[in-house]
Amino acid sequence: MRAGNQHPPQDAPRFQVALYVTCLVDLFRPSVAFDTIQLLEQAGCEVTVPTLQTCCGQPTYNTGDYESTIPLARQLIEAFEFADYVVVPSGSCAGMISHHYPKLLQDEWRERALALAAKTFELTTFLSDIAKIEKAPGDTAPLPSVTYHDSCAGLRELGVKAQPRALLKELCNLEVSELGQTEVCCGFGGTFCAKMPELSGKMASDKLDSALATGAKVLAGGDMGCLMNIAGRAKRLGKNIEVRHIAELLAGDLDGPAIGEGKQ
Amino acid sequence: MITKTQDSAQSDLLGKLRRVGGNASAEQIGAELNRLGQTPVPLLPAQELCEAFLINVLKNQGTVACAPDRSEAVKCVAKYLHERFHTRKIVAGNDPRLAAMPWRDGGVLPRFGAAEQEFSSPPTPASLSYARLGVAETGSIVTFTGKSNPAANNLLVEDHLVLLDVADLVANLDDAWQRINAAMEEEGRPRGINFISGPSSTGDIDAQLVMGAHGPRAWHVILMGDVPDEALDNARSFIEQRLNQL
Amino acid sequence: MSSTDQAKGSRAFYSNVRSSLQETEKVNRRDMLGLFMPMIRDAAVNEFGGFEELRRHVKNIKQHSLDNLYHYLSQFVEEAKSNGNHVHFAQDSSEMNSIVLDICQQHDARRVIKGKSMVTEETHLLPHLQSAGLEVVETDLGEYIIQQAGESPSHIVGPALHKSVDEIRELFMRKHQLGERELEGPAEMVAEARTVLREHFLKADVGIIGSNALIAESGYSMLVTNEGNGDLCANLPKVLIICTTMDRVVPRANDAMALLRLLVRSATGQPVTCYTSFYSGPRQGEDTDGPIETHIVLLDNKRSDILDSDYREMLQCIRCAACLNHCPIYIGAGGHAYGSVYMGPMGSVLTPLLTSLEESNALPNACTACGRCAEVCPASIPLPDLLRDLRHDETRAKLSPTRWRVGMKIHAWLLSHPWLYHKLTALGIPALGWLGRKKGSFKSLVLANGWTDERDFPAPQGRTFMQQYQSQRDDNEDAG
Repeated sequence: MRAGNQHPPQDAPRFQVALYVTCLVDLFRPSVAFDTIQLLEQAGCEVTVPTLQTCCGQPTYNTGDYESTIPLARQLIEAFEFADYVVVPSGSCAGMISHHYPKLLQDEWRERALALAAKTFELTTFLSDIAKIEKAPGDTAPLPSVTYHDSCAGLRELGVKAQPRALLKELCNLEVSELGQTEVCCGFGGTFCAKMPELSGKMASDKLDSALATGAKVLAGGDMGCLMNIAGRAKRLGKNIEVRHIAELLAGDLDGPAIGEGKQ
Repeated sequence: MITKTQDSAQSDLLGKLRRVGGNASAEQIGAELNRLGQTPVPLLPAQELCEAFLINVLKNQGTVACAPDRSEAVKCVAKYLHERFHTRKIVAGNDPRLAAMPWRDGGVLPRFGAAEQEFSSPPTPASLSYARLGVAETGSIVTFTGKSNPAANNLLVEDHLVLLDVADLVANLDDAWQRINAAMEEEGRPRGINFISGPSSTGDIDAQLVMGAHGPRAWHVILMGDVPDEALDNARSFIEQRLNQL
Repeated sequence: MSSTDQAKGSRAFYSNVRSSLQETEKVNRRDMLGLFMPMIRDAAVNEFGGFEELRRHVKNIKQHSLDNLYHYLSQFVEEAKSNGNHVHFAQDSSEMNSIVLDICQQHDARRVIKGKSMVTEETHLLPHLQSAGLEVVETDLGEYIIQQAGESPSHIVGPALHKSVDEIRELFMRKHQLGERELEGPAEMVAEARTVLREHFLKADVGIIGSNALIAESGYSMLVTNEGNGDLCANLPKVLIICTTMDRVVPRANDAMALLRLLVRSATGQPVTCYTSFYSGPRQGEDTDGPIETHIVLLDNKRSDILDSDYREMLQCIRCAACLNHCPIYIGAGGHAYGSVYMGPMGSVLTPLLTSLEESNALPNACTACGRCAEVCPASIPLPDLLRDLRHDETRAKLSPTRWRVGMKIHAWLLSHPWLYHKLTALGIPALGWLGRKKGSFKSLVLANGWTDERDFPAPQGRTFMQQYQSQRDDNEDAG
């Protein structure tokens, strides 16, 4: 019922978009992908989802296994280079494609990586700066108070900072209650959180404390990795805050349980 | 013996560096360096140079006075010495410019030479330096070590007083080096060139700022000459506003 | 060092971090540092105006200096010699230490005073001189405190920032003859150290300092301090020894000024330090003071290898510690956990390069790739990239745990077979989702214990997106 292709846009599409779902959204929170499709269609995009997609290769790349990452990068480039735009509901995956693939690959593949990099966008950047979405796709029922976690890769590799805040304001009339030390990492860091669990846990706790200090009911963010880390830590410590992907807020998809929450 | 092994150590390393790169000629290297252009300089807190300098001295935890001429400058020194130490004595380097100050106008009794360096003797309360230069960008004064300004006078006293001619005030560190390089052309390279920008301070205990770590506990700059009337007042109100903002 | 010791050293970092996280008071001190230092740095950077432009300029200057290091180092050495210095080259730590000791012994020195120098920390000069019977006193207040405490620096700019006021008071009570005096706060403690150190300054035979920049055109060495202790070391004793490295060389005084503008703002948030001094050599002509003999000892210790490697950019480092202050790993772990002279992001790159990856491969793994260090690094060093490249070296040298390496290979293999990957995840993920449907997350999970040690594992919603998307497409096709 909520699948994107059942909501045909009124006018001819303005943008042909290929959606890179990301592996974490695919496996753990498919609703974020459906919300993303809704938002993109609302913004006048025709969305396709290439089926040969898996993972962008961040885990192997960041572990230092460049050799195993190269085939994954090539696979993704092959699957997506046909598109006009590639949209990714994750700052770190978009950063991996646009920032790191060109460093990882050489010669002809480097050229192809650069070409793909030029048309790859993190979701909120695309909605805000390119498609210039004006209206939320769903009801604009009053939303809970929200704070925002800037994921590091989005913030520093792609300059994602104003866009999610502007979208929350314009589409949902929500003012973000800002976190203290918002530019500090939440402690996820891919495999880091398993290599140094105690320190990672401390960082997630610090982030949670900042979030709780804002009094916001929801912590939103643009990266599933960070959000699963923060939500998992909140659950472990019994801290009461809903953790959600920003696409869920923008699409008004708040009926289902938040990340890490049960169905009761 | 040492010299010999040192020579070979030097040629080993330089030989290695030569292999790593460094085939360019001195001319090529110089041209490339010039292409890198000028260093960006920071904004000054005020357009007028004296005012900007005074603001930065105050920001550096220094104190300041302005004197239209040398006679008034001596009176400023006398006032400072009386208020801080109830004394008329001060140590000053063998600088002809200091020797020529009208000391009697303020009743100051200078001793020309270096501050006390015997541990058994009590430390010298105050010294006076005649700065080579002042730098508005950083609120610094510049001295050269030597007979005219022994290093001990900058460092081994309780309070360090500095006279600066307005004519020797420059906008930024690069301008300062232009003047220093010109001076070195004439006088040769001094052993030490000291940019001083405040009393000796430390934040090493609990990140709390404390003055008088090893050297002077206080630093007083007397700007001599044609200083605009309102410069000092403007500088003080700038600092006050800044403190209120914090 | 034996191979068992090396293995211990590499493992020690993780266990050091675990124990340092237990010390609540120290954790709070570091958290304050991590909050406060970025604030004062940001304020100074904003006040500057075109800081990014300055940063680019200094990067260009540093790269130019390194690209032409043969030229500039030769020029510096020539100028320094003509200024009357003895210039020495030391291939490694032990060479530097013996050169310095020889100089001291030639002058029958008994008392040595030292300014702050990371290079001498790197070579462990102090114990070397002490074991030859010399009395060596660190004069930077932070260094003095940790010398008294028998510790090593926890921070390359503020070596004793890990110590509380109470700890320092207690230390001074123990080490100094205070009699009836009490040391209330930092001001009294600074005054106490000042008195004790003044005697050392005035009685020393040899002064040892480091250098913040070596100026090729004139042979001057730049020294940056707030306390003025380095200047006292450089001016009072009869012999001065400057211990430094070739990567400090810049072409001109103006370049040193550009570097100074970046260094101080990045380190302490000041526009300039209280004392910024340039020393050319021994006392001359009519001088009434200053050292009679001056030595410059240039340590290589693998820097020429680094220059010739993919890690060359690391030699642009100006030792400001901004990367430490902005690194959540450093702030969480504390400097001592690194077990090395250099710490934080710069230390995690430099330590493996100066020692070996075998000994210190844990350090490059202590990174979330958050990129904050690179963002603030005044020398524009891509620290997260260099750390990842070190992990690449680690992987190729098979130094990382086998289960990680093999795990990554299997993971990557599966990901490069999309059809199989989607089939397998379509089987496993819904099952996992079903298991976790009530609670929404797992307290523990096979193969994810690193994660679940500290946090719950959020359960999948149910069927994968690809599964749902595919079946919707199939439905549509059927309907159509």
